Amino acid sequence: MSVLAPERTTPREAPRNVPVTARARKKDFAGAVLAVPFAILLLCTVLVPVAYALYLSLFTERLQGLGFSGPENVFVWLGNYLSVIVDSAFHASLGNVALFALIHIPSMLIGSLVLALLLDSGVVRLKQMWSLAVFVPYAVPVVIGGLIWAYLYSPTIGPIKGLFGIDALSDGAILPSIANIATWQWVGYNMIIFYTALQAVPREIVEAARADGAGGFRTAWSIKIPVIRPTIFVAAVFTVIGSLQVFTEPMVLKGFTGTVTSTWSPSMYVYEAAFVAGDNGRAAAASVLLAVICALLSAVVMRFSTRRS
Amino acid sequence: MKLSPALQARGISRRGFLRASAALGAAGLVGGCTATAAPPGATKITIWSWLTGMDKYVAAFNAAQKDVFVELRVIAAGLSGGYAQQTNAIRAHNAPDVLHVEYQGLPQILLTGGLRDLTADMADLESQYSPAAWRGVRPDGRTWGVPMDLAPMVFYYRKDLFDQHGIALPRTWDEFRTAAAAVKQIDPQARICSFPLNDGSFFAGMSWQAGDPWWTAQGDTWAVDIAGEGTLRTASYWQSMITGNQVAGVVYGSQDWIAGIHDGKLWGVLGASWSVGTLNRSIPKDTGRWAVATMPTWDGKPANGIQGGTAWGVSAESKNPEAAMTFLRWLSTNPEVPKIGSAFSTPFPAHLPNRAVARQAYKGGFFLGDPVYDVLDEAAKRVPDWTWGPNALRLFSTISDSFGPVRSGGTTLPDALRKVQQHAVADMRTRGLSVREGKSA
Repeated sequence: MSVLAPERTTPREAPRNVPVTARARKKDFAGAVLAVPFAILLLCTVLVPVAYALYLSLFTERLQGLGFSGPENVFVWLGNYLSVIVDSAFHASLGNVALFALIHIPSMLIGSLVLALLLDSGVVRLKQMWSLAVFVPYAVPVVIGGLIWAYLYSPTIGPIKGLFGIDALSDGAILPSIANIATWQWVGYNMIIFYTALQAVPREIVEAARADGAGGFRTAWSIKIPVIRPTIFVAAVFTVIGSLQVFTEPMVLKGFTGTVTSTWSPSMYVYEAAFVAGDNGRAAAASVLLAVICALLSAVVMRFSTRRS
Repeated sequence: MKLSPALQARGISRRGFLRASAALGAAGLVGGCTATAAPPGATKITIWSWLTGMDKYVAAFNAAQKDVFVELRVIAAGLSGGYAQQTNAIRAHNAPDVLHVEYQGLPQILLTGGLRDLTADMADLESQYSPAAWRGVRPDGRTWGVPMDLAPMVFYYRKDLFDQHGIALPRTWDEFRTAAAAVKQIDPQARICSFPLNDGSFFAGMSWQAGDPWWTAQGDTWAVDIAGEGTLRTASYWQSMITGNQVAGVVYGSQDWIAGIHDGKLWGVLGASWSVGTLNRSIPKDTGRWAVATMPTWDGKPANGIQGGTAWGVSAESKNPEAAMTFLRWLSTNPEVPKIGSAFSTPFPAHLPNRAVARQAYKGGFFLGDPVYDVLDEAAKRVPDWTWGPNALRLFSTISDSFGPVRSGGTTLPDALRKVQQHAVADMRTRGLSVREGKSA
């Protein structure tokens, strides 16, 4: 995970030459034992469900007549994947999260970076109070946060309509409204990550820059941001994945307005397929596709980050 | 190796999350089951349900006799997870003996093949049930469920304001349009009612009244007619009310809605029998303002829709179907049940003798005008034929999805419904069902 921790400029101690002893082998054994709980959890909560989802995604329940004689489970090869890929509701959900990401990712990352730089620059008084204030939304459960915002957005009882004259739950405004909840929730979290990374920026570089006459903006732009760039990229990867999987915010708002459809985001599409339509095969196929898209996008962002640094 | 701040933060939150979910799971297990132990020798059966007060009914049954012991597990309501949980349990061959099905969800559950045919067990009870409820558990002429309650739709209105401003109670939808205009003229902020677009079961209930059922089981084929004549007439009517800004759009039961009915911005509610409870709970201080009336009609011929209603199914794999039926007959027909229910709700049993008991036990006092149970009784009698299809629950979300752009003018209700019809037919055919489009022959 050295990508995340900025490299120190001071040279490290050279590793000592240690002969492989019984003690070291015992250490390996201890390591294996300590890894067992993790391995079991990984197996039971990740690997087995993933394998089962892959298996489910190849089958569908076929009915006949009125359907009351019960279903027959049939193997359909990649039929479920095909029906998801050609489904216009799935396309619409991808379009929604793409637009959502377009609003959410830049505003959230830039917002949290600016806040972190302000905290780090020392121009802010009452640093701890401010960082706590910005971080608090992250501590609010997403459902509660969504409900609070839904009430604020409600045109007849919420203040937003009166203040800005827009119905935040209407057709055109719903996407920014959802992005706003997510940004509000995650700005503080990423700010703390960036701020922690900034703490590790070697003070001597900053001082050298200052001695060369660089002001606050110049130091931030040319020294601090480049040094913590790997951290920013990792945060970007998490945010991309989080955006693709956005679920709770639109799900909560759905109860307040008809403009959020039941398949608004890919995760909601999966939920609808599994829990409303009762079509487990299609739900599994859609989740596998979503996972593949997440992996591809993360790979692109990571590739981009390694090339830049 | 130094642990990244990001991973540290993740680690803590994930561990916290696991701990929280473990605690929740434990709480669910403890809270979800009734605690008392079965008497020795009793046949134990399990029931999954989300009906309010079910714990009280089960406790009363367990206390009243020693032969059957019922264990209740409270599950999430309907589409919030209850149906998915029951369907998956049937697939996994560990379904409870008794399942909670609503009339609208029964055919969809039947697609799992997991319910027991109760035709013989229930034959002697036919005459005791409201005909609409009896038809509701017999989508294909076989009896698949035991009716519990019925939810005819009615019109709740602010009788005090209607009387004060000399607006007559509308008996037809034409009169309703005139009354809506009058309300708006008296108070430009007020509307006669809300017409929520995000509730498919509400729209289904409104269409039901028009007498063109969306589905009909015809031998071995489903006739699907969601964009039929009556439904399109309903849709065009409400489209013109929405376009003319004659109705509000707030979601039933939301804070906006409660504020609206309390502040006199909504003078009426198109609701079902269970709205009696919603109104009592939401605006307890509004005693003596509201009255109940049967729905306005299209042509003066009495007709009424239904929105919701509970029934019970017995698992096809139940080891003790006789014990399950003993319990269900008690639950559906024993006069104790509505007496218990009246203490915390306004039950409207499908079983006619029990409805008389509920009427006796009703406290009253909230509504003006005609007695609530008289109006509901009359409404229940006026319900035309209707069969719920095997995709009804999914169709409700298709409908609210398609209606989303109506308010901003992106589509109209009739256009949206034509798309819903195509979608439903394609969906049913994909699943292998035999489907014929259009009105039943």
